[in-house]
Amino acid sequence: MMTRFGFSWDKGVGLFLIIAVVLGSILSDNFANASNLSFVLRDVTEFAIIALAMTFLIISGEIDLSVASTLNLSSASLGFLYRAGAPFEMAIVGGLLVGLACGLFNGWLVTRLGLPSLAVTIATLALYRGLSYALLGNEPVNQLPEFWISIGYGRIPGTFIPWSTLLLVLLAALAWFILHNTRYGRWTFAIGVNQEAARFSGIPVERTKLMLFAMTGLMSGVAGVVYTLRFASASPDGAVGFELSIIAAVLFGGVSISGGIGTMWGVIAAVLSLGVIRSALQLAGFTANSLLIVSGGLLLISVIAPKITESLRIRTGAARKGNTKTTIREVGNE
Amino acid sequence: MNGLKSLVKAREVPVFLALVVVVGVAGIANPAFLSATGARDILLGVAIVAILAVGQTFVIVMRHIDLSVGSVVGFTSFLIGDLYDQGYGLWGGLAAALGVGILVGGINGFLVAYLKLPSLVVTLGALYVVRGVFNDYAFGRTITAAMVPPEVAWIGLNRLGGIPVLFLIGLILVVVSGFIMRRMRSARDLYAIGSNPAAAELAGIPVARRIFTAFVTNGAIAGLAGAVMLGRFNAANANSGIALELVVIAACVVGGVTIAGGSGSVWGAFLGAILLQAITRAIGALGIPQFWQQAFNGGLIILAIAFDKYLSTRVKTTTIMGSDDD
Repeated sequence: MMTRFGFSWDKGVGLFLIIAVVLGSILSDNFANASNLSFVLRDVTEFAIIALAMTFLIISGEIDLSVASTLNLSSASLGFLYRAGAPFEMAIVGGLLVGLACGLFNGWLVTRLGLPSLAVTIATLALYRGLSYALLGNEPVNQLPEFWISIGYGRIPGTFIPWSTLLLVLLAALAWFILHNTRYGRWTFAIGVNQEAARFSGIPVERTKLMLFAMTGLMSGVAGVVYTLRFASASPDGAVGFELSIIAAVLFGGVSISGGIGTMWGVIAAVLSLGVIRSALQLAGFTANSLLIVSGGLLLISVIAPKITESLRIRTGAARKGNTKTTIREVGNE
Repeated sequence: MNGLKSLVKAREVPVFLALVVVVGVAGIANPAFLSATGARDILLGVAIVAILAVGQTFVIVMRHIDLSVGSVVGFTSFLIGDLYDQGYGLWGGLAAALGVGILVGGINGFLVAYLKLPSLVVTLGALYVVRGVFNDYAFGRTITAAMVPPEVAWIGLNRLGGIPVLFLIGLILVVVSGFIMRRMRSARDLYAIGSNPAAAELAGIPVARRIFTAFVTNGAIAGLAGAVMLGRFNAANANSGIALELVVIAACVVGGVTIAGGSGSVWGAFLGAILLQAITRAIGALGIPQFWQQAFNGGLIILAIAFDKYLSTRVKTTTIMGSDDD
């Protein structure tokens, strides 16, 4: 993003996370205890799971606004199947498949029909939410099996770490590995930098994008199952408005909305930072409003700061190498 | 210019036809839908989204987006009531509303036009910051009917010639901006910018200044729309206008204002908003459970963008360069 050895935004977010944790511990005695930390972790898990997939999608130059509705439709399907008498394990699989189907549908519209993903997913945002209502009516499904609820809310014995965090760690490691160490990750970056060039160099652009949308749908489905278990309920009106918060977190983590730039650890640090700040602000007696201002402010800073350092760098004439990438990004944007 | 031919080709026509079909089907199935009250319900309900969709059109034709309008309109609807209650009168409130709109639009516009930051990120940040400031300002208070300026309450309740005043305000806005978008050179520039920003720059269009002005205009419209919102609901609280931005963009998209920029009109956006609202009402009139409303709206948006795609591949408009459109 900037110079090769110097400060980069994703490292900055990592540093920011550490500072937030330290400040949180100083500001409030209740911050660093086991029950609060496990609360913070549980609170960011669904966000984080979706953010992992969204990172790929935004790096490839696409976007998905339907993730919160997909999460909810998968949760509603789970509830619907269970209420209809299916075994709970089957209902979970059903919920995951619905998530995958939602993602495939988005991907199909974008890659096969060539429609813009922003418009497509505004449409499916409404569509999937509407289907949740159609499935469940106004009645949430509440009587879920004890065992699964205890998984959804419980911690790994002897630690403060919730079970869902274990899942998140596994998925995050997998996402990190794929993005930064496999050809699929390199394809994702290549498509985001310049789709035409990627196509000419033999990258299966459409297939890769379809896969990324499908993965985002599936991860939203996973988040939907986690969400259902955490609240021990499937309702048609859950997770409203999550989509923009997730995208905000991904962008704050240093992923460029124009595509081609971003790191997985930057995004993970960003999601965790926002969770930590929320908890710290609440414990320090601030209202939820301050969190809104802080997240919006951080998002703005995350796009303004690189711009300023860049122009400073150009003015001082240092590090010409970094500029080529910026130029590519700007052309790709237009 | 062949008037008739361009009329048939116009992208607004299918939207209008869809509206006629929806109203016709619902009207036959349930005559109450076509009654004066039924029509008035639609016109009253649509005013806010229609007004915001007109403002948003300025931004979207430039291939940009403004997500902050929901927060702005909520904030200013609260502000107008609150300032009136504190004795600043109607005009004090309206001036403040306009000020907030111009300020937010100006900051968005500056960051997008002059610092060349992506509008999606900038206005998403603005969405949160404005909502946060608004919630801090409101701090659990609500604006009740007694705090609404009587003139604002009047526009929410009354009709002129059988048409709700709120809708007439939207109609005046769309007529004026429709004329500007067709006839004024600076407004035509917006289409050029959306079609091909680099080419627009080379053609000598002051791109940055146009982008800045469009964001400020949209902000000002959103600010003043606060009065319309307050008149409509006769109340406001910290959640006013929440999640409205995507509804507004959906109305634009249905009306043929393409996300890829360069095409669409304020009339299209206006009709798009009315169509979405009419469908919502028609679902009720046809006895379909209200749950299906969002699913129908979503399906309609997909149809609209697929139709736009079909048109653009067939007519080969100059909207998009190369294959940058996906």
